[in-house]
Order: sequence, then structure tokens, then C-alpha cells
Amino acid sequence: MTLGLSISNVSKVWNPDGPEPMPAVQNLTLDVALGEFVVLLGPSGCGKSSLLYIVAGLEDATGGSVTFDGLPITKPSPERSLIFQEASLFPWLSVRDNVGFGLTIKGMAPEKRTKRIDALLRQVGLGGVGDRRPHELSGGMRQRAALARALAMDPKVLLMDEPFAALDIQTRARMQDHLLDIWQSSGASVLLVTHSIEEALALADRIIVFTARPGQIKDEIKIDMPRPRDRYAPEMIELAKRCEALLDEEVTKAFKQQELS
Amino acid sequence: MTDQASPAPVRTQDRNGVSRDHPLRKLRAKAASVTWVLASLGMFVGIWELAWWRGWANPLLLPPPHIFLSNMPEQFRFFDPNGQRAGALSSGGSVWSVLGVVGWSSFRVLLGLSLGFVASVSVGVAIRYFDVFGKLVLPLVTMLAPISPVAWLPVAIFIFGIGNPPAIFLVFVAIFFIMVLATLSQIDEVPAHYIQLARVMGASKRQIYWGVILPAILPGLFVTLRMNLFAAWMVVLIAEAVGVGSGLGQVTMMARNTFNASLVFFTMTLIGLAGFAFDQALRLIQKRILWWIGPSNVGGL
Repeated sequence: MTLGLSISNVSKVWNPDGPEPMPAVQNLTLDVALGEFVVLLGPSGCGKSSLLYIVAGLEDATGGSVTFDGLPITKPSPERSLIFQEASLFPWLSVRDNVGFGLTIKGMAPEKRTKRIDALLRQVGLGGVGDRRPHELSGGMRQRAALARALAMDPKVLLMDEPFAALDIQTRARMQDHLLDIWQSSGASVLLVTHSIEEALALADRIIVFTARPGQIKDEIKIDMPRPRDRYAPEMIELAKRCEALLDEEVTKAFKQQELS
Repeated sequence: MTDQASPAPVRTQDRNGVSRDHPLRKLRAKAASVTWVLASLGMFVGIWELAWWRGWANPLLLPPPHIFLSNMPEQFRFFDPNGQRAGALSSGGSVWSVLGVVGWSSFRVLLGLSLGFVASVSVGVAIRYFDVFGKLVLPLVTMLAPISPVAWLPVAIFIFGIGNPPAIFLVFVAIFFIMVLATLSQIDEVPAHYIQLARVMGASKRQIYWGVILPAILPGLFVTLRMNLFAAWMVVLIAEAVGVGSGLGQVTMMARNTFNASLVFFTMTLIGLAGFAFDQALRLIQKRILWWIGPSNVGGL
């Protein structure tokens, strides 16, 4: 039995019986060890997000198998928490109740729940705004609340679909630091989708570069540098160049695909 | 991270640094809004009065406001909340009897709307929740939806006879089918992320419907309800004119039968005021209870 996440030979075709089946992922094999931070890097529409949905259990793979701690993934589970690009907090709930949504579902006792929410809000630096409504928060704060909501479930894997793409660059850098802190203290694995090379280099233990659609693994880059990383260090610049070259080929291919279709 | 931890002052101040919630500012905004309402009304009345003054409008057929509002006690005589049939001049005659008549009409609208809202949202949600139920009921709803409530009037009278029930039933029918279809479209438009997140957090289908879908669709449905409020008022007047025997519709019908133009316009004024008050009340409820819909989505005044 392998601990952690094991994706073996997975394929996904959208609309398989329709007139134009669209292959999103093809024969992809990838293992994510416990506590590992893996970044999926690739051009837009290359099937990275599809893979994330399959791992979350929200979509079935068309072929291959996905297991977590040796057990096949058949449906969504709180141990695999999901974070989207837009925070998608529920607008009808206060920040507290958003963070505590999953705890309520679990049926946690109110006093215990309140304590847990307070701790989570402090952890993500939102101690003072629990009673606010989501629309009263800035984009970065909303994304932290979403992070707290995911952490409330004590996830073993955090699945993040371009979580900081909608934020301005300064906020994004802060959020990345923040995510690293939380990741290190929680011991969860992270599978994060991005198309930003900079983000991938700042965060990842391992970068998986995707090909254009249908998504396959083009290359794999291990980064052993301690964090926080200096992105102007010579090794980092080398890595950035390498990623850029890899990605560039695929972006060109993706553009051609889009022109054809 | 502490620098970002302090609450951001999002949209609570205007450019001059005056808080949006400052009472003086609120008062000023309110006064401006009321002024425009009065100006709008004044313009309409002004044109009408001008037409009378210049002799363009026959005061017997189109009496301007200063005429049809001048002899209130005379008008009040025709209002009888206890519902004597057209032409009878009995217990009416006071402000209270006028309010009673308006009250009865409002009551029918309110009850029809409430029942219709609850029933249509329940049926709409059930159509999506229970697959077989949906397949069985949806074609029927879609076929019944285009039938005008007026066509239901004879049916209402066959079933309920004369009195309150047919009027309430008509209001119910006027909004029910439309609201069922609106409920379905609202459910289908709930952002997929909301539902996916709830599923990941372990929510059951029931919990997703109660905790996510219902709160997500209510604001939009409330706006639809408000839009149909005026249709409900139209329908209740027709029902009252034909099959109830009391209410504003009955007074209008009586005024028509007796060629009392002043009374027609007086009653129309009352209907307008009542409808306006209803809309304001619903708007208030919307703001208070369904606050998560942005003020920009409320529409209207």
C-alpha cells in the first residue's frame, strides 16, 4: 500500500459519448507523498483542473485509477479539501459561519465549533473579522477565509485550483508565504494548479509541467532549495528559464489548438 | 501577515471621508428620494390639471385630482368593507370603511402571494430534488403556465363560489406557475462551486438543498415575487369586480356601472397607493431578511 495520493494511468474525456468528445487528461501517472507540495504547471485548458476534480472525487476518471492511502477515490471527502480561484464563500453566511460550515455538517457541538473557528481565524490572520459578511472583505481576506474553511476539515490533501490568480501581485506574494506557513504546520500534502512559473518556483517541492491538451506530464522539476526562496538566486533563475522554455512550447501548441477549433 | 489582518474599510466611506452610514447623509439621501417622488407625481398632476384648465379634458369623464379628491365624504359613501353588492349605499361612509376596503383587497393579495410563494418554491425545489416527481410534474407546469389568470376566473368561482377564496386563488394562480419555473432556473444557476464545496465538506443532498441551494435562490426569487406583485394586484381587482362582492375591484366596477368618473379615479389612486406601499414593504423585507443580495440588484425606486 502506498501512503499519500497515487494517480496511475488516469485519463479523462469530457463528453465521451457526444459528437465531439474532448480528451482532457491522457494516461497520467503521478504520486504525491504525504506532506509533499506538488505544483501542476501548464498552459490554460490543459487538463490540470480536470485532474484536480478527479482527485477531489467530484468527477470520475474515464480510465486509470486514483487512490489515497491505498483506497480508491470514488466520492468527495473532507480529507481532500478544495480551494478555487474565486473564494466562493457563501454570501449569506458570516465569515465565521463560512469557516464553520463543514463543522456544522459534521455535527460538531456549538461550543467546540466556536473555539475551533476562533483558532482557525487567528491562524489565517482574520481574528477580528469573523462577524463580517464576505462582501465586506478584500479579495485576499476572502481567500484566507476560504483557506480557513478548508483547514477546518483537517484535510490530508489541499487541492488548490489557481487559488491566488485573482489577487494583485503584492497580495499574492503574501498569500504564498502564508500558505507555506500553514502547509508546514499542518503536515498536509498540497496539489496546486497554476500557470505562473514564479508561483510554482516559490512554492513547490516538485513542479509537474503539463503538455497542451490532452494533459500529459511533459517534465518534472524537483526543487530542494529551502524556503523562503530568493527568486533572484542563480539556481532559481536557471530553473525559471527551464520552466519557461518547457511551458513556451506547450503554450504555442495550445494556441494552435485553439485556432483550429 | 498582520498588516493585512486589520479589517479593510471596504466601501463604507465616500470620497470626502463621510461615512456612508452617517445619519445626516442618510437623511439627505432620503429627502432627495422623496423629493423626486413628489416631483414625478406633481408633473403628472400638473399636466392633467392644465388639460382641465385649458378645457381639453372633459371634467365629467376625466375629472382632474382637485375635483375627484375634493369631496371625500361623498366618495367614502361608496366604500363598504362588508361587501354589499354594487350600487348599495349602506354602511360605508367613513375613512375607516375606506381603509377596510383597501385592507380586504390587500389581505387577499398578501395571502395569495404568501401561499403562492411558499407553494411554488416548494414545488420547484421538489421537481429538482425528486427526479420522478420532476419528470411527472414539470410538463404540466410548463403547459399551465401560459394560461392567463383571467381564464382561471370561472374555474375559481366553480370551485370556491363567491367570497374570499376565489380571489385568493386567482392571486395564487397568477404567480404560482411562473414562480415554479423561476425557481427551477434559479436552482440551475446556483454556482457549481458552491455545490462542489459543500460536497467536499461532506454535505448530503438534503444538506446541500437546505444549506446551499435554498439560501442561494431566495434573493432572486424574491425579486421575481416583487415583479409579480403588480400582476397580483391586477388579478385581485378582476376577481373582486366579478366574484367577491367587496374590495377595491368591486368599488371600481360599481363606479363604472354608475358612470361615476370621480369615484373611478379616486379608487385608482387608492390602488396605486396600496401597490406602492406593498412594493416598499417587500423591498424592506428583502433588505432585512435577504441582505446578501446587493442593493444594486433590488431594482426600482
